[in-house]
Amino acid sequence: MTAQSETPAIRQAVIIGGNRIPFARSNGAYANASNQDMFTAAIDGLVARFGLQGQRLGAVAGGAVLKHSKDFNLVRECVLGSSLSPETPAYDVQMACATGMEAIGSLANKIKLGQIDSAIGGGVDTTSDAPIAVSEPLRLMLLELTRARSTGAKLKAMSKFRPSFLAPNAPGTGEPRTGLSMGNHQALTTKAWNITREAQDELALASHKNLAAAYDRHFFDDLITPFAGVSRDTNLRGDSTIEKLASLKPAFGKNLGEDATMTAGNSTPLTDGASVVLLGSEDYAMANDLPMLANFVDFEAAAVDFVHGAEGLLMAPAYAVARMLKRNNLTLQDFDYYEIHEAFAGTVLSTLAAWEDAEFCKNKLGLDAPLGAIDRSKLNVNGSSLAAGHPFAATGGRIVATLAKMLHEKGSGRGLISVCAAGGQGVVAILEAR
Amino acid sequence: MRATLDLGAAPSLGSLYAKGLGAGVKGWLPGRKSPQLVLPDVEHRVTALRPERDSLVAYQRLMGDTVREELPSVLVHGLAFPVAMSVMVRDDFPLPLLGMVHLSNAVEHLRPISPDATLDVSAHAENLREHRVGTQLDIVSEVREEGELIWRGTSTYLARGVWLGQKQASGAAVREPFVAPTRTGSWGLDAGTGRAYAAVMGDYNPIHLSALSAKALGMKRAIAHGMYLAGRALAGAAPHGAGYTWSVEFATPVFLPSSVDVAFTDSGNGTEFSGWGARSGKPHFTGVVTAL
Repeated sequence: MTAQSETPAIRQAVIIGGNRIPFARSNGAYANASNQDMFTAAIDGLVARFGLQGQRLGAVAGGAVLKHSKDFNLVRECVLGSSLSPETPAYDVQMACATGMEAIGSLANKIKLGQIDSAIGGGVDTTSDAPIAVSEPLRLMLLELTRARSTGAKLKAMSKFRPSFLAPNAPGTGEPRTGLSMGNHQALTTKAWNITREAQDELALASHKNLAAAYDRHFFDDLITPFAGVSRDTNLRGDSTIEKLASLKPAFGKNLGEDATMTAGNSTPLTDGASVVLLGSEDYAMANDLPMLANFVDFEAAAVDFVHGAEGLLMAPAYAVARMLKRNNLTLQDFDYYEIHEAFAGTVLSTLAAWEDAEFCKNKLGLDAPLGAIDRSKLNVNGSSLAAGHPFAATGGRIVATLAKMLHEKGSGRGLISVCAAGGQGVVAILEAR
Repeated sequence: MRATLDLGAAPSLGSLYAKGLGAGVKGWLPGRKSPQLVLPDVEHRVTALRPERDSLVAYQRLMGDTVREELPSVLVHGLAFPVAMSVMVRDDFPLPLLGMVHLSNAVEHLRPISPDATLDVSAHAENLREHRVGTQLDIVSEVREEGELIWRGTSTYLARGVWLGQKQASGAAVREPFVAPTRTGSWGLDAGTGRAYAAVMGDYNPIHLSALSAKALGMKRAIAHGMYLAGRALAGAAPHGAGYTWSVEFATPVFLPSSVDVAFTDSGNGTEFSGWGARSGKPHFTGVVTAL
């Protein structure tokens, strides 16, 4: 009989620190930056901060949602262009907006298993340097031209051309199987949970105020490296007001008429940016005299059937959190901070409403009692995606680094992360202060 | 006992349409009552039909379905359609093809059908009956593999203004006002939707091809082919690796280009689907797919 091989003891995976470049609104400051440029900049900033020059790390993992085919080995190319040792292995991950979380969580698992001692995980996205599609007005003009029978009608169609038609089309966030944009999907969920316009605008305003306050107290000084002349997230509107937000017209779910509540103000804009997180074993951190901000305790993915309307597109994290809490023998109230990615204000509020709803928790989550309400003063306390912007794959790294630093500053407690993603998916995680 | 007419090879749809349209000009006028409104008691048959792999892939791409080793039900319908059409253009077929309205389909797709299958197709007309605005009938197509019935489809058509007996005195339809359900998806159908379907299925019916060709036949614009709409719905709802039944009813035509909101709802072992105009709010179709 063969003896069973010994499984290495599970050890802690710690978050040492993070780095990102400021996030910039699409077609703005980073219009000429590629995913490779931005992710390399994020890695190099991290390398400089923690003195990793020439080091061979266990692995670098990350990815981008919108990727050129030439970027088939994006993360490895970034490593080769960085000041890390060229002997550092790297690989791409792709899980829509949960790319960063999946990359970081999987690396934490490798560290816990003793397979690697150190790693960088993160993500990057650009909607400015995306593969160009014909703009919608140009498409419509060409269609009209096709339908036009006479020379006069053709000329009339062509006369509608404007130079702005040549601007690259913002990449769609449409779900391939439903044809609905992410915003129009969320509009269905927002309505189903009776989330008001006012509640969404308040959440958006809080995000801007909290992010601005965090910058003011220099919270991000050791989390951000300036890039392309930008040192703050360009979407941040610290001086926004509830009146300004209330004046915006609905941008999604316009077919809902009076019930259309989602605007450009309470939805995230298309954004460019990159983020990375440095993880390691305790031994690695101590041996290299590096800080230990938080333990990466656990993470969980979930997916829902949105195609036939059984669940809202962005509701998977509600399910993932229930499973992860059970596995870790925790309640929803056992956290000091909640980082719920603000894809849309409606997403956060629908998720919170679902956790408070006895019927949802019983029928959908299989729980005897609802997960309950959270202390809203612990939610996204340093701002989130509505203010910072949301370069899809880069959001996970932003949140992990921010939460790890918050927990370390507090010196105790736990934080919960929830990130929704296209395709009806989501990844959630638990961090613990050190 | 119904007679059987062996057609040899499948007739070309182009010549069938030409014949059908030609018959239309030959003297069919709305309101005319046929002296002998009787369906021909004959079954048309074509044996040893082989689906083409290229058209299978083209069909799956067109419908947004995954390329897999099963014949989609609407593609089987397309294989059988020329045989069905050949019944409808018979000289003794009592209703005019021109202007005939496609009302509904009910299909039993009894088991998965291999793309390499050799199929025998037969079709006949039956169940001539009154409709509020004219006369309707069923064209029943059956598909067999080595004698085993594997697919049976009933297509219901309406001839407006043609009456079995006395013209009905019924007034306007009593339709319940349509309330759109919560949409689960949206189909953007461009002006070329009809041409794309025609190219894949070899079914060049002028009312689907372009605004101009549709206008020639009295339509204000080209309309989406009903089987294209059914195919899209089945691509999102039909089970794989098992037999199933499905049905679809058409309410108002989808004029191209168009944005169609759709809803899919799973219930038990079936999926209900419906589509309506995103802007007009008019119902276009409803249907259901049920696994066997």
